[in-house]
Amino acid sequence: MNEQWRLLQTGANSAYANMAIDKAMLVANSEGKVPPTVRLYGWVPPAISIGYFQSLVEEIDVVACKNFGVDYVRRITGGGAVFHDKELTYSIVISESHPKMPVNIMKSYGLICGAIINGLNHLGIKSEYAPINDIVTGGKKISGNAQTRKFGTVLQHGTIIMDVDVDLMFSLLKVPSEKIKDKLIKDVKQRVTSIKHILGKELNFDDVAFAMKQGFEQEFDVELIEGSLTKEEMVLAKKFEKDFSSKDWNHKR
Amino acid sequence: MRSQSVYKVPNGKLLKIFLEYDKKNDRIREIRITGDFFAYPEESIEQMENALKNTIVEHEQLLDKIRSIITEYNIQFIGVDAEGLTHGILMCKP
Repeated sequence: MNEQWRLLQTGANSAYANMAIDKAMLVANSEGKVPPTVRLYGWVPPAISIGYFQSLVEEIDVVACKNFGVDYVRRITGGGAVFHDKELTYSIVISESHPKMPVNIMKSYGLICGAIINGLNHLGIKSEYAPINDIVTGGKKISGNAQTRKFGTVLQHGTIIMDVDVDLMFSLLKVPSEKIKDKLIKDVKQRVTSIKHILGKELNFDDVAFAMKQGFEQEFDVELIEGSLTKEEMVLAKKFEKDFSSKDWNHKR
Repeated sequence: MRSQSVYKVPNGKLLKIFLEYDKKNDRIREIRITGDFFAYPEESIEQMENALKNTIVEHEQLLDKIRSIITEYNIQFIGVDAEGLTHGILMCKP
């Protein structure tokens, strides 16, 4: 019988709650209290997340975010700024010492991205891993990913772009100068794609989620059993949510 | 003297460095290393920023210091390396 992992479908939450739940899962897994877990989720309201090492004020137009009702949050993972709007986000937590998890960080990126590539394949989209942390189709990015390792557990989360509004994205992100803004928008439109763009139609969240569930099961040769957050994870998540919404955390760099 | 640099590491990530250094002796007063790279463990970047204080903004000295910090704190960088960091810091100097 295949190994059974937990699947969490937590729906759409705020940026703070989303990052808090990922961290709560990471802590619970590192303490051996929950099995390897795959979580699939969305963002309401839309939000920008920035990488741990980025400077918030350098990357985000905070006033524009307020005007458009877009939240912003610093992740515990490195990587770049991401506008989370029409997308499916996944996260996975698994012990660093799990036999299926490579010790080498780049190898583990490749493996976990393999699950997403399988999932996209189920949707009829051929894609490939583009190191360091992207998945591309036809040379264009359709997924960005970021991994951290803490307390002996791997957390990787990433986005699967269902549709993207590049113009809106650039009104929320800081650009070096207005003069090159148009060029940047043009560049990004040429480098980023979405499920809607590739398939020529919109898919609903649940269909993408089902494909990703299959993608993970296939990649890791496991069965994902739908479950829920433990009480302890919920308590932790509530606590972390406060931290993620704090100015201290978000403006720390 | 305060300055900053933006440096795209070849085959790597975008590094944005904010530097405050003493113009008289070229020593770092304060440094912030930001960007879309990865470093494990993440908190080690703050340790590196602290440890770089007082280092002279000069190629060999920076590279040696950065390499020794990486070893001391067992830092694993992805998307940037000691040479990239050194280059980014030197770019802050006119």
